[in-house]
Amino acid sequence: MGDLQQELKDLLAFVFFLGLVPAGLRHVWLLCCVSPFLLGTAVCSQKPQLGDAQLATNNPTLTTVSLEKPFCMFDSSLYPNRSYTIYLYVMKESASAMSSLVTDDSNKPLGSTFQQTSRGQLRPYNAAFFDVPDCAVPPRLADVRSFVHASYVLKQYLFRVGDDGTCLYDPNFLGVCNPPLAPDTTYRFKYVLVDNSEGMVKDQTLWSDPIKTRRAKLPMKIDTCVLVFLLLTGFLASVQSFSDTK
Amino acid sequence: MAKTENGVRIFQGLLILGNVVIGMCGIALTAECIYFVSDPHGLYPLLEATENDDIYAAAWIGIFVGFALLALSILGIVGVIKSNRTLLLVYIILMLITFAFEMASCITAATHRDFLTPNLFLKQMLEKYQKPEAGNNNDKWMSEGVTKTWDKLMLQNQCCGVNGPSDWQEYTSAFRTTYSDADFPWPHNCCVLDSQGHPINLDGCKLGVHGFFKSNGCYAAISGPMNRQAWGVAWFGFAILCWTFFVLLGTMFYWSRIEY
Repeated sequence: MGDLQQELKDLLAFVFFLGLVPAGLRHVWLLCCVSPFLLGTAVCSQKPQLGDAQLATNNPTLTTVSLEKPFCMFDSSLYPNRSYTIYLYVMKESASAMSSLVTDDSNKPLGSTFQQTSRGQLRPYNAAFFDVPDCAVPPRLADVRSFVHASYVLKQYLFRVGDDGTCLYDPNFLGVCNPPLAPDTTYRFKYVLVDNSEGMVKDQTLWSDPIKTRRAKLPMKIDTCVLVFLLLTGFLASVQSFSDTK
Repeated sequence: MAKTENGVRIFQGLLILGNVVIGMCGIALTAECIYFVSDPHGLYPLLEATENDDIYAAAWIGIFVGFALLALSILGIVGVIKSNRTLLLVYIILMLITFAFEMASCITAATHRDFLTPNLFLKQMLEKYQKPEAGNNNDKWMSEGVTKTWDKLMLQNQCCGVNGPSDWQEYTSAFRTTYSDADFPWPHNCCVLDSQGHPINLDGCKLGVHGFFKSNGCYAAISGPMNRQAWGVAWFGFAILCWTFFVLLGTMFYWSRIEY
């Protein structure tokens, strides 16, 4: 049902862009797939996004990526009085050539773990599952300023992939693991909506844009050459004085 | 006769005045250098770990030069008043030796200050901060000194890293070998701490949310005091030397004109 609706939406979007609908209405239609944090920008965010860079300045880090939780992305597929869970899948971009499937033949979500998929190299692994975020009351990002509410707001708004390294060290651990990612590697993420009673996948986002973790340079490569520093400071000082006299 | 007598008296007066100034400057130099050597900002371990703490050596020399200048100025005043050739000869020779030492101290302070670039401290911080059990005792001593100094710096000056917290993300470090990036993107002293010394919001600090981590670099807090020390020793020393040079010339001229 969700797929059919999605296809209908795509078709209508295509028709609109042919110019058969006035520009104002076109803007209104696109708002349907806008995340509540990007109000006013006509961006169709049907894929996982990095957290707001103004808020979380240290993102992505060497081994973690913080994604926005999927607010209002699955609203059209949700039925009242049924419970759903959102699954997050992670894969290395190199795996997309081999297999990027997250469901099996009977449309149930794959339970592949970090260890089974060779750290996301062979196919996507399930990093976490959580409740569907409440679209009606998204967290107010301004509340982050308050020390009391900050933790709550951050937990509601963001999910940190790579947060938990302890499951790697437990040899008996067979469950869903969210261990640190590899540095300097491109990953892609996907949210999947699963109906709890049937255990079936109801909707899924597209794969996110490739997101690369940071790369760390060696401190041995740092140049402590004094001459360069002196020349640079001398040059900057002369430029400064020249612009002042002007 | 009266005229030359007056001329001599004026010249003696000038020399005595010159020596008084040298004596006072000597006291001032000693006081300034004692202040620097006492390391009020606690930055000496950082210099010690660079194995180039010559600006401290310059300050130590400055202390003794200051005392020497005071003693020699008194000797000079006595010699000029008594017009004693021997005393003035001793004065001139010792003053020349002191002059040479002070010159060395000033040049050392001035040139070694240029060695203290941000990259130097960055490399040292990354290689030595929180370094786990190192090889020999000397290495361990330097790492401990660097770790304690950086912890104190980050707490007192509300800063992190040399250029900023991004230093910890851009480079690998000894810290990174012990503490994982997921739990410690940067040391916990880079987080805004409460009165008990715990981060007020660890998640906010890890994510880099403004208000929960310190976004300034510590280079200003390091280079400020060190520059003041180097320039203080070097330029005050050069000023004293200039004055001493003229007094010495005058004394040599006076000595050559004393009749047996």
